Amino acid sequence: MWLWFSKLGSPKWFYELSSKWLPWLVWPLAIVLSTAVIWALLYVPADYQQGDTSRILVVHVAVAATSLSFFPLMAVAGTITLVWKMKLADMVAKNAAPLGAWFSFLTLATGSIWGSASWGTWWEWSDARLVSMLFQLFLLLGVISLRSALEDTDKAASACALLSIVGCINVVIIKYSVEWWNVLHQPSTPLSATADNPNGPDFWGAVVLMVLAMYLFIAVSLILSTRNEILQRERRSQWVQALVTKAN
Amino acid sequence: MIEAIQFSSFSEFLAMGGYADKVWPVYFLFAVLIAVNLIAPNLKRKRILKDLKRRAVLGGNGASAQANPDSSTEVQ
Repeated sequence: MWLWFSKLGSPKWFYELSSKWLPWLVWPLAIVLSTAVIWALLYVPADYQQGDTSRILVVHVAVAATSLSFFPLMAVAGTITLVWKMKLADMVAKNAAPLGAWFSFLTLATGSIWGSASWGTWWEWSDARLVSMLFQLFLLLGVISLRSALEDTDKAASACALLSIVGCINVVIIKYSVEWWNVLHQPSTPLSATADNPNGPDFWGAVVLMVLAMYLFIAVSLILSTRNEILQRERRSQWVQALVTKAN
Repeated sequence: MIEAIQFSSFSEFLAMGGYADKVWPVYFLFAVLIAVNLIAPNLKRKRILKDLKRRAVLGGNGASAQANPDSSTEVQ
């Protein structure tokens, strides 16, 4: 178990393993994502009140739901960094922050566009769901700037790990904001098994597929950027040197 | 499969039931998210490999990388 753990923490081992694994993630991503997009654009039924804006929700709900996974991911990686000083965990955490910021921004942007059509307003400061999601974006930007402000890699890793752990509180607030406060944003709707329901399988099937696509996308994007991080941080090691010469 | 499609023509599809100005920007932003976060790491990887190769050629095995650690900023 411990041997496996220390092996997993080895950047070289991760680099070699991910070289083999990547195609097995990229292909499912391509298939699931294109199916989800086609389903959302062509097959999701238009809502009887809100028309074709239901197609926005497939993207919005999937991106929003998966955007909540970044702080827990960074907190777990951060804890591993703090406790076991595992470099690989910090590399993942470092690259998760900008991707998480992208997801948070897209959640706000798509939600805002949807709101402008459905609520008649782009933004509502009194809505706890909206504000707490905006706060998540700022927190992630905070993690990114904290990292770039601290020159010492180890210090930056520890500071970002702590902020990521604290940031998880906000994830809980985002999640339950629609229940704790009376807000404009609707709470999550129970799924229905009947096809004639607006929230029936024709709709949530696309959402579930899109959520799966987003997790695959996060995995692929994070693996790609972590591999870059490994090449940079390990550039003096023998195996990276060998890899570079071999690429000639 | 074809019968289940919600639109009867391509122009109807583009019109999105009057919500074209809302639906298409969302899918455009979504496409940007996907494209940027897949293409950017690949471009960066090419840059890093090129840079490391250049250094290997310049100063032999690894020595150059240690000789000028500051040049790592170019890779950012």
